[in-house]
Amino acid sequence: MTASGEMGNHKTSRTRQIDWRRLGLLFLSRYGTIFGLVMMIIIFSVMAPTTFPSRANLLNILSQASLTAIIASGLTYTLVVGEFDLSIGYVASFIGLIVVGLMSYQGFPIWLSIICSLAIGIGLGLINGTLVTKIRINAVIATLGLGTMLTGIGYSYSAFPIATGIPREFTSIALTRQFGVPNPVFFMAGILLILWIILNKTDIGQKMQAVGSNIEAARLSGIRVDRIKMFAFATAGFCSAITGTLLSSLLGSGTLGVGDGYLLDAFAAVFLGSATLREGEFHIVGTLIGVLILAVGFNGLALLGAPTHFQPIFKGGILILAVGMSTLARRYAASH
Amino acid sequence: MSNIAIHPQTHAIGGPDTVRSPESWMQVRGLTKSFAGERALSGADLDLKRGEVHGLVGANGAGKSTLIRCLAGITHADDGTITIDGANLKQGSPKASEQAGLAFIHQELNLIQHFSALQNMLLGVPKKTRFGLIDWKRSGIRARQAAERIGIAFPLETRVSELSVADRWLIMIGKALMRDASMIAMDEPTASLSGPESERLFSIIRDLSASGVAILYVSHRLEEVLDLCDRITVLRDGRIVDHADRGHLDKKGLVRAIIGHDIKSEKDREHFAADRSSTPIFSARDVAWRDAVKGVSLDVYPGEVLALGGLVGAGRTEFAHLVAGVQRQDRGYFELGGQRVRIPDEATAVNLGIALVPEERRSEGLMLEQSVGYNINIASLRNLRAFAGLPFISGSKGRRQAEALVEKLRIKTPHITTRIASLSGGNQQKALIARWLGTGVKLLILDEPSRGVDVGAREEIHNAIRDLARAGVGIIVISSDVEELAILTDRVLVMREGRLSGELNGTDITENNIIELSYHDAEGGQGDTQ
Repeated sequence: MTASGEMGNHKTSRTRQIDWRRLGLLFLSRYGTIFGLVMMIIIFSVMAPTTFPSRANLLNILSQASLTAIIASGLTYTLVVGEFDLSIGYVASFIGLIVVGLMSYQGFPIWLSIICSLAIGIGLGLINGTLVTKIRINAVIATLGLGTMLTGIGYSYSAFPIATGIPREFTSIALTRQFGVPNPVFFMAGILLILWIILNKTDIGQKMQAVGSNIEAARLSGIRVDRIKMFAFATAGFCSAITGTLLSSLLGSGTLGVGDGYLLDAFAAVFLGSATLREGEFHIVGTLIGVLILAVGFNGLALLGAPTHFQPIFKGGILILAVGMSTLARRYAASH
Repeated sequence: MSNIAIHPQTHAIGGPDTVRSPESWMQVRGLTKSFAGERALSGADLDLKRGEVHGLVGANGAGKSTLIRCLAGITHADDGTITIDGANLKQGSPKASEQAGLAFIHQELNLIQHFSALQNMLLGVPKKTRFGLIDWKRSGIRARQAAERIGIAFPLETRVSELSVADRWLIMIGKALMRDASMIAMDEPTASLSGPESERLFSIIRDLSASGVAILYVSHRLEEVLDLCDRITVLRDGRIVDHADRGHLDKKGLVRAIIGHDIKSEKDREHFAADRSSTPIFSARDVAWRDAVKGVSLDVYPGEVLALGGLVGAGRTEFAHLVAGVQRQDRGYFELGGQRVRIPDEATAVNLGIALVPEERRSEGLMLEQSVGYNINIASLRNLRAFAGLPFISGSKGRRQAEALVEKLRIKTPHITTRIASLSGGNQQKALIARWLGTGVKLLILDEPSRGVDVGAREEIHNAIRDLARAGVGIIVISSDVEELAILTDRVLVMREGRLSGELNGTDITENNIIELSYHDAEGGQGDTQ
């Protein structure tokens, strides 16, 4: 009798343990990133009480985050359909150069330069999409190849930074504020809202998710898979072009390679985001939170006087952590 | 033996007294396992003698897989013991299970495709080396002995990707034998095998049994189980509800034990004598593709359930793929409602009203990480728009459609937002059928609709198919389950080697006739339908 009693006790304690682990995993996979973001904000506010939580600094963080958020949302679309886009940073750099080049060298008016640049961005996305869907080149290779080519094409277009002949109106696009809030924040809000609506509330968004979930099932459900993927790549190209344009406007010049660094930031943000609120799915709100984590982290570290070489350590570490959490979240989802 | 399910304790040799006989090689006692508060297995007992073929049957979710996973050491039971040859088996350790002589062959056959048969058999086994390099010749001696024992005819150097499913099973069996397995558990071994291939497997199983290797045979195919197994254990809702020796159970009793009640007898079935004087809803004329389909012509009438019978590899799935736009035919054409149509891709097929519920449910049908409602609605998004002409989805319309279909097809799910991966195979299949109910489908092709589905769910899937037919949809059912064809349809076209070998109607639809036509053409060559 005592033996069976002991066994019973043992059993209940075991089930309780399993439940804790499950709850912990659920929490980590859904709210871990948000929790991390809140913790970072609290810690930085305590450690740098005068600089970090100031209005000016918070706006600065948002402004910094907005360009990353736009390009990362485009990347989110390609990941939703189960593909990849490694060209986003290169496209941003290239467009950043082209948009001022069109004004400075070709003498185009601002609006025409921007429209041409965005069209080129979409076109580059469509080239990526064609390489991947029609010729069936692995997306990693296709987009890396195109991105690398763009670096060279950019160089041949202008070997030196373009700093003259840029109208003041162009630089004011990114530098002006409305109600004290920098313009890029509004661009980010608008673009992310549109992308969120498309992904969650429209036919094409539902189809994108279907393609990413199971491409064969999507085909048999009557979805034109190639078109959906093209749309995702085109969106990524468009978002990269917007980021590139805003970047040049912010810097007041066109410089080779300025947008290249966005690739890693965007990836880290998107994977952090996929471990947010949902189990390993890529989505826009998650991406935004991922971007904010990065922006808050960089900003806080800088304010605390962390040496610059600490930045890449933070960035790389976050990327690995993000992909790890995303993988864990997905594994958790798969076991349920 | 029809009272077996009611008085499981009283009959024959399977009673509790003999269960504890010392000749049992493996004894499972009181195995209990809960997942998230739900009992998957409660107090299961199982006895296995040396060299016996032991059938393990039960509906999906009855606890078979949990039992097997406990034996394999993948799952640690909450309670209960497993004794092998008098020694207590350490639970939760795959290694301990393997060393105790237990081997497991799952339906998915965990083989590495681009490795040779030999490499696969030697996986995880310490290999003989020469100067630090693997000496395949000496390492493979035991593998070759095992291969010889079960009569593997192909060279072991063949890549797995080039082998048939039947040959892959042989590799798995050989792999188990190499490791001195005293028991091999096989999960649905004949699910992807043709008739002759299954027969060959059965004779290997009998040989193994004669040489003292016990087989734990898990299958939904009850005839096979009744025919092959020395003893049968039936699981229902995590409990052992019956066990009996060969000859003490018949199929009816077994079905009753599995589902807990009788199913409709064959005589009660509804026939679908569709009106064949009307225009066919769909026709194929002399359709050919590569070597697989060699000129198939057929007509499907509104409200008809037409069955395509035949062996695995007869070209039925390939034909279905041509109709559904997965592949394009080399020759011939299709007509829909008397109009010639081109079907270059799946999207065109779906737009025309032709849909395929594929054989590979998980890899080609389901979006596993999505919800039940999403999986149901994904093909009918156009009808779920908030405003006609604008591409915005109405959440409430989607919910209403999904909920209505869940209720209509009696899909057992806690909610439409539940992940579809957590449903049983039968309910997943019903959701895949539901996907097309909202689309105005004209021709629905179902490829092996009840494969891997338990008896109760199969009945409900059949009802769903009949409902669709009643609504005027033309239906083609591909099935290797001859009994299913006989129950479900009143016209069977049998395919053999890419051609139609004959047509069976009404009372001619018997297992014998279908099997006959699967191997020989009907009198007068290709049996066209006109």
